[in-house]
Amino acid sequence: MPALSLLRRLLPGLILAALPVFVHAHGEAVSIPSVAARDVPRALAVRGELGAPPRGVVELKFGELFRMPVGPLGLEPSDKLAALDGRRVRMVGYVVPLYPPAEDRFLLSPLAVDIGHEDESLADNIPPSAVMVRLPESAGATIPRIPGLVQLTGTLSVGSREDAASGRVSSVQLTLDAPVTRALRRLSREAARSAQTPPHRH
Amino acid sequence: MSFVSRSGRGLPLLTAAVLGLLAGDAFAARISRLTPPSELFASGEESPVIARFLPGQRFDLQMTIEPDPGRTIVSFDFIVDDQSTLRPFWVDGELIHDPRATLTSTITETGPAATCIAASGRTTGASGCTLVAGLAGNATVISRRAYSNSRAGVHTLRAIARQDDGTTITATGNFEIVGIDAESGQVAKNIVIFLGDGMGAAHRTAARIVSRGYAQGKAKGLLAMDTFPNTGMVMTASLNSIVTDSAPGMQNYVTGNKANNNEEGVWPDDTRDAFDNPRYEYLSEYLHNLQGKSLGVVTTADVFDATPASMAIHTSARGNGTGIVDQFFDDRDQSGLAVLLGGGRKWFLPNPSDSTSPQPVNGSQRRKSNDYVLGDDIVNGWGVARGALDPERDLIAEFRDAGFRYAADKSGLDAAFNAGTPDKLLGLFSYSNMNVAYDKIAGRRGDTAVVDAFGFPDQPMLDEMTDAALKVLSKNPNGFVALIEGASIDKQAHLMDTDRWTLEVIELDRAIAVAKRFAERNPDTLVLVTADHECSGAAIIGAATVSAATLEADPDAGKGVVGIYEAARFPKYTMAEDGYPETTHVDGKMLIGYGANADRYETWLPSRFPTRDTQQPFPPSQSPANPSVRNEGAGYLVTGQVPGDQAAHTATDIPLSAYGRGAHHFNGVFDNTDVFFKIGQIAVGGAD
Repeated sequence: MPALSLLRRLLPGLILAALPVFVHAHGEAVSIPSVAARDVPRALAVRGELGAPPRGVVELKFGELFRMPVGPLGLEPSDKLAALDGRRVRMVGYVVPLYPPAEDRFLLSPLAVDIGHEDESLADNIPPSAVMVRLPESAGATIPRIPGLVQLTGTLSVGSREDAASGRVSSVQLTLDAPVTRALRRLSREAARSAQTPPHRH
Repeated sequence: MSFVSRSGRGLPLLTAAVLGLLAGDAFAARISRLTPPSELFASGEESPVIARFLPGQRFDLQMTIEPDPGRTIVSFDFIVDDQSTLRPFWVDGELIHDPRATLTSTITETGPAATCIAASGRTTGASGCTLVAGLAGNATVISRRAYSNSRAGVHTLRAIARQDDGTTITATGNFEIVGIDAESGQVAKNIVIFLGDGMGAAHRTAARIVSRGYAQGKAKGLLAMDTFPNTGMVMTASLNSIVTDSAPGMQNYVTGNKANNNEEGVWPDDTRDAFDNPRYEYLSEYLHNLQGKSLGVVTTADVFDATPASMAIHTSARGNGTGIVDQFFDDRDQSGLAVLLGGGRKWFLPNPSDSTSPQPVNGSQRRKSNDYVLGDDIVNGWGVARGALDPERDLIAEFRDAGFRYAADKSGLDAAFNAGTPDKLLGLFSYSNMNVAYDKIAGRRGDTAVVDAFGFPDQPMLDEMTDAALKVLSKNPNGFVALIEGASIDKQAHLMDTDRWTLEVIELDRAIAVAKRFAERNPDTLVLVTADHECSGAAIIGAATVSAATLEADPDAGKGVVGIYEAARFPKYTMAEDGYPETTHVDGKMLIGYGANADRYETWLPSRFPTRDTQQPFPPSQSPANPSVRNEGAGYLVTGQVPGDQAAHTATDIPLSAYGRGAHHFNGVFDNTDVFFKIGQIAVGGAD
């Protein structure tokens, strides 16, 4: 009997451990597929020094989003950010997939971090400079975890907006250009297909 | 110990026992938790007595009952030494006070049964449910708030619950009131507690070696804390582990009671609400109510962090930043809060959207999910604010409106005194934790790369914050209780960043020197220097046998350059006029090993940028993510003994040094909760 009860206790843990990436969000289990660094297409990957952005595109760094030093009543948008509202920009950062999983949005963060799940009471890990990235059309599959830095080009919107699906409010949004959207669609669909293939047993 | 009595209208005891066996232990009616915690309840042993209080110190009584299947609880009582704690109080036939109506609460699972009760009949503890997992589905949590007792000695607490079939369930525990010897000489009016978070004996020694130096076996000078006349050793265990974290590590000193890890000002309970746990009164609340003292909280951490919150906040989740900073403000009339200095501006900024992923444009971290609302029983019993889920609250404005002068940086802190010493002072010098002394001093010497990257180039040092706090607090003729925390000794020891935590200890010691001078001028002051626990198992293993240049040329040298015993000789650092070493990158530098270490790559060299703190808005991209990747490919791999990627706290006793009135009470080896009763004696009864 003790062995059986031990097995019962351990079984959920063993099942969880067998799944590749597994997170609880909003009380239910969700899985976000991952891609390998070698599968990240050239249009997204950051390998070595980046060249100048294409004509008409302005480089925007996370450190330029807010006035520095920080004001006594909190962060304030920088003049550069305000001036780039509606302009095309290139940003470099880390993809943070949303929970619940989304096919047309994700966060771009200056740090490689995860969104804490629903019940986590500790402070969220996402830096306030994270930008909400939108695809003009759905990728057709969950936006996956992508290792390392990515480069994204799109049109910037500045101003507080609430995301209807998640209820999250962002102060800066980036709507992606068509080529980078296509690259993300391909990557997301491939990641979803790979996630359905059972992993090899070792 | 609990049992079910079925005499009278109930089934015979034998039948009940048989039914109990058939149903399994899980369904035998019982009181599964009785609070205050006691060994009498847990094991039947009368000692040690776990819960102790000063005379009149308030605390909550609580029981969790798991009734028989299908039964409910229809009445209850908490009886201390054969006397009900729920007796109504009548004067001339008029009901003046009815504790049962105003001070009690009964909580059962009221969430949706489909998600909150499993097929087994046990609670699931899922999101949206009231109770934690694993209880009988009809479990009932009953509280009696804000009880107090003034009679010294060990008391018996008996909890009784009656089911709707007439059977009763009882349990017995105990607690002690520790008496105060009145008129035992002069009292200490001011209590200053320096808390070097994670500061064990090795951290103190390391700071002495670096800042004072040794010659032929003799220290060339002493740290300010070394000059304190009395030193004892403190046992630091928490309610649920030999290895504490910072919440119980601090609050045990200022409540006299043991908390679980992650919990402050409360005992554990069986509800999911992190703010409704059974409470006990803090030193600050006790001495504010009794003597009108003020409270000052000064830290280099985010002010919501476990140690500062453990001076006045009651919650079982140390991460609940919004509720914690709100409670600091809302219950300032209970704690006497007059000074709050540290980091953590992000909790004080309005967030009308309640979204933090990402945060609103001002960087606010406030959220409903970690805010608080209290029930009638707590509000009535403790006289505290009810609270509200209000992420939109502008807490800086509210502090200002309540008479606090607000400083956002060092210049602002100085300016706060331009028109005379303020009565109350709020300083929020960074977004989250403040930068460490190593980086702040580099900034003051002209290398502003780190403080600029964090967005806060003008942060005060802890001695400057201490000086400001003591000036404000000493305006109260009734005295004060102050916590002054060197928070990042612990944070940098976790990261095994030797150069940074060493300077943190030096920064703390400079603040201690400020308080010592204050105590010399104000002899009715008691100053304690201690730690909540040791962090990282730090040990001074020796010194480099090579020059700084050689270390730099061969960062993978590892143990090949560790000089032990006489090969360590006496490392020499040069102190600058600002009180900190000119550099820690010296020939023959002191070397530290870590007994509670995670994997790390060791180069023995200072790191240009601090290891990442994810709570910061602009953590510099140059910051290594953690010690397991810092110097990867360059340093020597030291394989860790603890899981994770940071060093851990240890259970090692830590030194406590005392100066001023009543300091002689702090010799020998004692428990961290003993410190509370020593302070109570010295502050209320006298120091002899």
